[in-house]
Amino acid sequence: MKLTRSYTINDLIEGCKAGDRKMQELLYKQTASKMLAVCMRYAKDRMEAEDVLQMGYIKIFQKIKEYRGDGSFEGWIRRVMVNTAIESYRKNLRSLNVVEIDEAYEQPSTGFDFGTLGMQDLMKVIQKLADGYRMVFNMYVIEGYSHKEIGETLGISEGASKSQLSRARAILKEEIIKMEGFGYATYTG
Amino acid sequence: MQPIRDKDFDQLFKDAFADAEVTPSRDLWSNIESEIAPRKRRIMPIYWLSAAAVLLIATIGILVYQQQNSTNEAKQLANNTIEKPKQGVEAPIIKDQLPAVVEPVKDVAPILSVEAKPARTVAKTKFKQDVIKPIAKQRIVTAPEIQKQETMIAQVEDPKRDIKAQIEEAILKPREEIVTAVVATPVKTDEPVNDNEQNKGIRNVGDVVNLIVNKMDKRKDKLIQFRTDDDDSSLASINIGPFKIGKRKK
Repeated sequence: MKLTRSYTINDLIEGCKAGDRKMQELLYKQTASKMLAVCMRYAKDRMEAEDVLQMGYIKIFQKIKEYRGDGSFEGWIRRVMVNTAIESYRKNLRSLNVVEIDEAYEQPSTGFDFGTLGMQDLMKVIQKLADGYRMVFNMYVIEGYSHKEIGETLGISEGASKSQLSRARAILKEEIIKMEGFGYATYTG
Repeated sequence: MQPIRDKDFDQLFKDAFADAEVTPSRDLWSNIESEIAPRKRRIMPIYWLSAAAVLLIATIGILVYQQQNSTNEAKQLANNTIEKPKQGVEAPIIKDQLPAVVEPVKDVAPILSVEAKPARTVAKTKFKQDVIKPIAKQRIVTAPEIQKQETMIAQVEDPKRDIKAQIEEAILKPREEIVTAVVATPVKTDEPVNDNEQNKGIRNVGDVVNLIVNKMDKRKDKLIQFRTDDDDSSLASINIGPFKIGKRKK
C-alpha cells in the first residue's frame, strides 16, 4: 500500500477518525483504484462497481473509529468494501435467479497459457458470471471465505456454495478458452 | 498443455487480482464528501443550539437584572417625574378657568391636589402657574430657596385675592362651592393620618410627594401633605405661607 507519501498510514487513520476532510480525501485517493478493482469483481459492470465503491467509502469513514489496528488497514478497508458489495448483492433480488440457473457446463479439462491473460480479461469473464456464481467464486477464491461462511452470508447451504463454486469455475474456464481461442487450449476430453 | 487443477486455476485469479487497480471514471469523491457532510452538519447544529441556549439564558438574566435595577431607579426618579405632570396639568387649568379647573383637580388629585385644591378662586390657579415651576426646580436645589418662594407666593397671593374678588363678582360662586367641598374633606382627616405617614413605605403618589416634601420642607406644617393610609391619597394639609389648610394642632 503506497499510503506513505507525505503522511504515514497512521496519520491518515487518525485524521479520518477525527473527521478531517482532507485526510479522508487523501485516504480515498490513495486507495480508491484498488478498492474499485475489488468492487468490479463483485459487480456486473463498472457503473455498479462505482456505486458500491461510493457506499463502501461512506461506510469506511463512518466506521473507521472501530478500526483498532489489528490486521492491516488495507485488509480492513477491503473487508468493508467486500461486505458492502455482498450487502448490495443481497439487497438486489437478482440473487433469486442464480440458484435456478442450472446451465450444464461440461467440465472442460483444458490447459491455458495464463501469461497471455491479463487482469482485465479475467475481470470481464468474472463479470459475465451469473450473480450467485460470481459471489461464491469471489468470496471463496479471492477472499478466502469458507463454504460455511459463504452459505451463512448469502443465505444458502454449504453444499449449494460448493456446487456453485464448481459451476463458476467451469464457466470461467469455458469463457477463457473462448477468449484464448482454440489455438491456446487443448481439449483432452 | 496439462488440464489445469482447480487450485492452480484459483491461484491464477488470486494473483491477477492481488494488486489489481481500476481508476474510477467519475469523480466519486465529491459524492462521498456530500454523503459524509450531513453527519457533520448534524453535529454542528448541536453546538450552535447549545451556544444559542447559553446566550438566551444570559440575555434573560441580564434583562431581569436590569429590570430590577431600573425599578429601583424608578422609585428614586419618581420624585422628579411626578412633579413634571403637575406643571403640565396646571397650565391647561388656568386657560380654561373655572369649569376646566375643577375636573383636572380630581384626576390629578393624588399628585397635584395640594397645589390645585387650594385654589378657591380662579386667581389662585394663575398664581400656581407662576409659582409651581419654581417649586419643581427648588426641590432639586435646596431648602432655603423654597422659603424664598414662599415669600414670593405670599406676595402674589394678595393680587390674587383682588382678582378673586373680581372674578367672583363676575361668575364664580358655583366654583367656590366645588372647591371648598374638596378641600374640606381632607382637612377633617388630616391629623391622624399625618402621624402615621412617616413610617409607611411608598404605596402611592401621595407617599412619594410626602417623601419629597418632607425632605425639602423641614417645618412642622409641610408645604403639602397627603394622607395615604387609604387607597386614594387625599390632601391632608397645605402650608403656603399665609394660606394654610389642615394644620396640625400640636
